[in-house]
Amino acid sequence: MSESHEPYDTLAALHAVGALDGEDLRDFEAHLASGCARCATLVRQTEQALARAAMAGPPEPPPAGVRESLVRRAARAAPAGRRRWLPWAIGLAATAVAAGALSAAYVAARYEARLGQMARETTAAKEQLARGEAALREELDSYRAALELLRDPATRVVELRGQAAAPEALGRLLWTDGTGGLLLAAKLPPVPPGKAYAVWTMAGDGPRSAGIFVPDAGGRATVKIAAQATGAPVRVLSVTLEPESGVPAPTGAVVLAPR
Amino acid sequence: MSNAGADLIREIAEGNAEAFARFYDRYAPLVYPLVRRILTDPAEAAECLEQIFWEAREAAPAYDPARGTPEAWLVGLARLLAIEAMRAARRRRNGSALRDGGSPVNGDATAALDRSVLARAFERLPDPQREALELAYYGGLTQTEITARLKQPLGTVKTRLRLALDRLRAMVRPA
Repeated sequence: MSESHEPYDTLAALHAVGALDGEDLRDFEAHLASGCARCATLVRQTEQALARAAMAGPPEPPPAGVRESLVRRAARAAPAGRRRWLPWAIGLAATAVAAGALSAAYVAARYEARLGQMARETTAAKEQLARGEAALREELDSYRAALELLRDPATRVVELRGQAAAPEALGRLLWTDGTGGLLLAAKLPPVPPGKAYAVWTMAGDGPRSAGIFVPDAGGRATVKIAAQATGAPVRVLSVTLEPESGVPAPTGAVVLAPR
Repeated sequence: MSNAGADLIREIAEGNAEAFARFYDRYAPLVYPLVRRILTDPAEAAECLEQIFWEAREAAPAYDPARGTPEAWLVGLARLLAIEAMRAARRRRNGSALRDGGSPVNGDATAALDRSVLARAFERLPDPQREALELAYYGGLTQTEITARLKQPLGTVKTRLRLALDRLRAMVRPA
């Protein structure tokens, strides 16, 4: 290929056999990290050629006892790669210290796969924590909103009853004209794929969409509902099953409606 | 072969103990000669072989088929662990580090080339190239260490290795 790439062809071949060190190793790793597809391919092809050659010789029966020992260990151990990462990280640090005589690149190559795995596990754990925190905040917000509404003497509490489509469902609406309200629902059936529950308010001029929601796995939901733009008193609130993309007016079965 | 190997690695990652045993049965006889080439002590070789397959089991979830065949993955792991074990054994035996003089390579690594598992591919390489490749592949030596060992300029060592690996790639190109 281009003349200027020629030195990297050499470095790629040497990297595949683990022979690079010093400045050459740093240069090549930086070059590879910059995304050189030619070098990545060359390294991979050279590693594969070495592997094919190494496995091309006559097979040799492995020593007795190794297989049994591995099978025993595997039966006792956690599933592959599922160990808790913290004790493992401590072990890794100890190993890295013990491996002082080995080059950094050697150790890096040796543990690359497991480091990658650890990083993924850490990221997954962080994401899970973030999701949990967001859910808690949301729950706290809805409790606060409910508390605010209940403190307001103008708040009405409207009982909602499960209709034919969901006779077990229960609902309660905390509502203040001009401020809005909160719909608390329970025992809602799970929504089919592509569907969601839609909330409708009736305030004189026909039904208005007040949001769509999907209940949690336990069939519960807390939905904030904005006041009518006009501040007009809301007379009726109902919940129907609709396409999750939303519809301008109710079309599906009524799930919750006032008693 | 590669697809079957990749499937086995995936099943191992999913915790399939039977797949792990099949993986061992399939690859241990192919990997063991390489381990024996690096570690001449049978007890050390057996211990290392067990470590290689255990590490392969642990690393299975991170195996990425896009980055190489299962064979290259396993052989790469086997070689690194065997060289690590060879160095540890040498430190235990004589307390000398690799660069402290004496033979930097396992005594058998530069001799008895006819036992080499790579002999078929290697024997068609010119001697100087083969020698450099043996030192790197079995001895785990870097270019600088090979330079010291062969008393050749760094550029010469790099060229020999590059030519040897280019030829090797051409020779064992997948059928």
